[in-house]
Amino acid sequence: MRLIISILSSSLRSSVPLILAATGGTFSSRSGVSDLGLEGMMLFGAFFGVYGSYISGNAWVGLLFGAAFGAISAMLHAVMHITYRVNASISGMCVNLLATAATPLLLNSIFHMNGKSEQVTAFSKVNSDALESIPFIGPILNSQSVLFYLTIILVVLGWLFMYKTTAGLRMRMVGENPQAASTVGLKVNAYKYFGVAMSGVFAGLGGAYLSLSQMDLFVENMTNGRGYIAVVINAFGHYNPLGAMLGSIFFGFFDSLQTVFQSTLPSQLVMMAPYLFTMLVIVFGMKRGKAPAGIGKYVDN
Amino acid sequence: MELIEMKHITKIYPGTVALDGVDFSLKQGEILSLLGENGAGKTTLMKVLYGMTQPNSGEICYKGEPLRLRSPIDAINKGICMVHQHFMLVPAFSVTDNIVVGAEPHKGIFLDKAKAKREVQELIQQFHFNIDPDILVERLSVGEQQRVEILKALYRKADVIILDEPTAVLTPTEVEELFVILRQLRDSGKSIIIITHKLKETMELADRIVVLRDGRLVADDVRPAEVTTEQLSSLMVGRQVDLQIRRPAKNIGEVCLKVENLTVMDHGQAKVKNVSLEVHAGEILGVAGIEGNGQTQLLEALTGLCQPKSMALTLNGEPLSGACDVFIHHGVGHVPEDRLAMGLVKEMSIKDNLILGYHRQDRFCGKGGMMKQAAIDGYAEKLKEEFLIKTPSVNAPVSSLSGGNQQKVIIARVFSQSPKALIVAHPTRGVDIGAIEYIHQQLIDIRDSGAAILLVSADLDEVRTLSDRIVVLYEGQIVSESMPGELSEVELGLLMTGSKPAGKGETHA
Amino acid sequence: MKEKTMNIKRHNAKQAILTSVLAMVVSLVLGAILLAICGYSPIESYIAIFGSSLGTVKGFALSLSQATPLLFTGMAFAIAYRVRMINTGAEGQLYVGAMAAALVGAYVTGLPSVVHVPLCLLAAALAGGLVAGLVAFLKNRFGANEIILTLMLNEILILFTSYLANGPLKAEGSGVGQTNRIQESAQLFRLIPQTQLTIALLVGIALAVILQLVLNRTAFGYEIQITGYNLLAARTAGINAKRTYLLTFAISGAVAGLGGAAMSLGVNYRFVEGFSASYGFGGISVAALAAYSPVGVILSSFLIGVLKAGAITVNRTTDIPVEFVSVIQVLVIIFVAAPTLIRSLIALPKKLAGRGKQAEVKKEGANS
Repeated sequence: MRLIISILSSSLRSSVPLILAATGGTFSSRSGVSDLGLEGMMLFGAFFGVYGSYISGNAWVGLLFGAAFGAISAMLHAVMHITYRVNASISGMCVNLLATAATPLLLNSIFHMNGKSEQVTAFSKVNSDALESIPFIGPILNSQSVLFYLTIILVVLGWLFMYKTTAGLRMRMVGENPQAASTVGLKVNAYKYFGVAMSGVFAGLGGAYLSLSQMDLFVENMTNGRGYIAVVINAFGHYNPLGAMLGSIFFGFFDSLQTVFQSTLPSQLVMMAPYLFTMLVIVFGMKRGKAPAGIGKYVDN
Repeated sequence: MELIEMKHITKIYPGTVALDGVDFSLKQGEILSLLGENGAGKTTLMKVLYGMTQPNSGEICYKGEPLRLRSPIDAINKGICMVHQHFMLVPAFSVTDNIVVGAEPHKGIFLDKAKAKREVQELIQQFHFNIDPDILVERLSVGEQQRVEILKALYRKADVIILDEPTAVLTPTEVEELFVILRQLRDSGKSIIIITHKLKETMELADRIVVLRDGRLVADDVRPAEVTTEQLSSLMVGRQVDLQIRRPAKNIGEVCLKVENLTVMDHGQAKVKNVSLEVHAGEILGVAGIEGNGQTQLLEALTGLCQPKSMALTLNGEPLSGACDVFIHHGVGHVPEDRLAMGLVKEMSIKDNLILGYHRQDRFCGKGGMMKQAAIDGYAEKLKEEFLIKTPSVNAPVSSLSGGNQQKVIIARVFSQSPKALIVAHPTRGVDIGAIEYIHQQLIDIRDSGAAILLVSADLDEVRTLSDRIVVLYEGQIVSESMPGELSEVELGLLMTGSKPAGKGETHA
Repeated sequence: MKEKTMNIKRHNAKQAILTSVLAMVVSLVLGAILLAICGYSPIESYIAIFGSSLGTVKGFALSLSQATPLLFTGMAFAIAYRVRMINTGAEGQLYVGAMAAALVGAYVTGLPSVVHVPLCLLAAALAGGLVAGLVAFLKNRFGANEIILTLMLNEILILFTSYLANGPLKAEGSGVGQTNRIQESAQLFRLIPQTQLTIALLVGIALAVILQLVLNRTAFGYEIQITGYNLLAARTAGINAKRTYLLTFAISGAVAGLGGAAMSLGVNYRFVEGFSASYGFGGISVAALAAYSPVGVILSSFLIGVLKAGAITVNRTTDIPVEFVSVIQVLVIIFVAAPTLIRSLIALPKKLAGRGKQAEVKKEGANS
């Protein structure tokens, strides 16, 4: 029983960055732009989260920095793909490659350290005796980061925006059929830029969660492919924030099963598990034809 | 007073003058037919009126006031709406969402779904459209989708509705329904512009006809009652065209291409149902039908692009099956439906495109897979001369050619292989008149040299002119077979929609 | 305009060279700005970098040996891109290639060098080719996206080879994750003694020439290009597109695997975990700079090799971080992919100046 609770609790913990990044992915995809740059946006978010906390001594400022620089890095993808019409796989990979190249450089010139940063003020966990006393659910939810709760709120807000507001309807139309959207007078590129910027904000938050909540410092390449896994979860969850959340918890659950085998198997083999699982999902778990029909399409003149 | 006046509109695209000082006017409460050949500038003129493109010079007045249209939104705000030839709908959205998006009723930032549905429902009832506002657009027929497009315009309180080739994809019944709707809209005070090149529907529907040719206005204020179809046709084309003259086959030979029990499934639906047909050497078999009745699948099956559920195909008595390479290798030539998507690689040179599909032949490719560059160069030069491909060099990209010359590249490639059988789809779609005549002549010539030709075309006139025998494809089945001249255009048209002309058909059975 | 496009191949080649040169120059300029921001003198830094990598025999040899793995991974990316497949998996293919070569090099004994080395290379090519072939198979069969698949496989293969090098295949008595040292017969011939520059460079150059010939002169190469430009037209022309995808991607993986062999047989003399300085991803910028032409990769990998070697040498005496070269590599990809971006960037100062002038004029107007 205690093992199950501990697994579920750690499932939620490891799903938070995935939820955030995959939800970011839904914004990008729904506006018609591929989300392959999530990994890089997360890594920038992780670094600048630490930097924000480092210069202010406040983890919340760090979080804002993470979100802001996630969005700024997303603009590279947006400018290349939307304005200069570069294939979105290439422009997305550019963000990822730039993040792996630039964060060590930044680490070096700001912290004068290699491999990892100094420790900074991080987020505390929410511990409540009242919560703990609820049977089963209580111990799972207790001692989660405050960001866990923020994440749930953001996902619900994201879903409301996408499916209940006029702007959300318009953004989805741009993602489905940009040509049609432009004929009813929508500013297609503005919605695409917005979608990509939001993907950067969410991915940046996801990265900052890694460096400011799971840890209290930045480590080189600390996202470890989570951004790529989020790309898969986004598709798996049918490009819907709620689907992204459920998919992420599913992945998080699988991720936390690692702890069960940690004592019996070599660590490298255990660490391979989430990637293998992701591969299986890509190959067998995808329903084709659910993606927004206008991804990668432009308005002809 | 004129509702809209466009004065001296000129629009220049790189290399062509699309509109050359065109004057155009529209009155309130009329149906105006804007008539012209492909490339005459009709669509460009309407794109100018809809704000999709800006003219190089000229001005537009709306109710006497000068109007500047920077984008479609300016036009929409003035009550000018457009129904595009390719519908601008989102299949994954509901009818209501498609109609209101961009002009949604809202409460704060939130979409007011209840109000949207109510308003759409009212509109549907007002015009007797009979469409469920909650259904997803992907589940609607083409005719219903068009009505959604018209609803979109009405929802935006359009006074002027422009329809670009509205009947191109409709069945005759749907065309009749559309005409009823359009007349009803006119009677309620709306002004309608129809962009078309079809004379018959122009004569039937329009209050007034405006004719464009080569970017110039050639006739304004033509009344259908005062002209004949022939007069309109020569206005449109600028001269008498002898496309209509038939040149019957002289020497029809043995059965060359024989197809039996052809059934093609697509997404779980039978698109071609148990079709059998024969094409003789030296004969053109025309396949008439409204698009979407299984033509694409028939073409794919007969060229190896798809593997049918069942088919027994013989070529000169020898069974044939497999992928495209097998068909090409055995002498089945293919002039595909969509030349840029299927027939050509626009980034590559004319030369490379002239051997596409035949590049593994011994004369182009030596042992060990090395290409024989010199042989290919010579071959390309020869074809360029022989088929009158207008280009400074065969090393130029195929994308630098006009539509007609691109089609000539395909014709040259396929016809010069002296194919036994030819599968030809829409050979003159979107090419200029001169090239049409040339391509038709080439088809006749290769037929007379003994090739068996299956011709699929959406242009009934083309089928009637070229074919030595005509079959009608309706919902994946052959519903009629006739000799040219045996059935009138009207009778063929009826067969294409699944109804039988009176007195015919039964007598043959 | 018409005359310029008379010969599409020549026209494209000219455009590509112009784009690449501009991209390299602009990236270096931006790199200089980056150096200045980080507090180093850009001019002095560049003089030091290029001086050390081009000015001495040792430096030049280091440039070439840094270029060698990039030559292979660059070719791998370039050839796959010709069928419009994106091989982000060169990193993983490099690792399995390195492992396969190291194992054949260490455990097969008693062979003469002329047999042993090719055998090791073959093993590496096979390993890389099989891994990439699997990806292409999954794409063909299930429609899976090759980018995510290869990225996941990278993580898996790096971890798995690390497991092997730390577990069952660990060198006896070694403190770090590495396999046994390869036989002397499997070691690559050094072109310059005391350096890491080996015959692998010549193998790579020969391979580039062969691949270029295959692309330009053979029916298979013609089919690769057709399939890359227009899949439907390729199918309509009777080209087996799935087979073309599979073969091309397998070749791409095999080439990356050979890059791994070059490291195991020529530099480390064994498989060492984490040996790659992101050579797989470096291949992307090398390929982009070469406009995805295998022969062009010879030159572009050399350019990046020079930068890397220079940065490594300079890093020993100053604290200019080596990663700054990686940033330049990414900039190169960006500018090659979006050449018009360069024009906009060049026009930017003018535009700003123009605005400034307008503002001044307005101010003056207001004052008078």
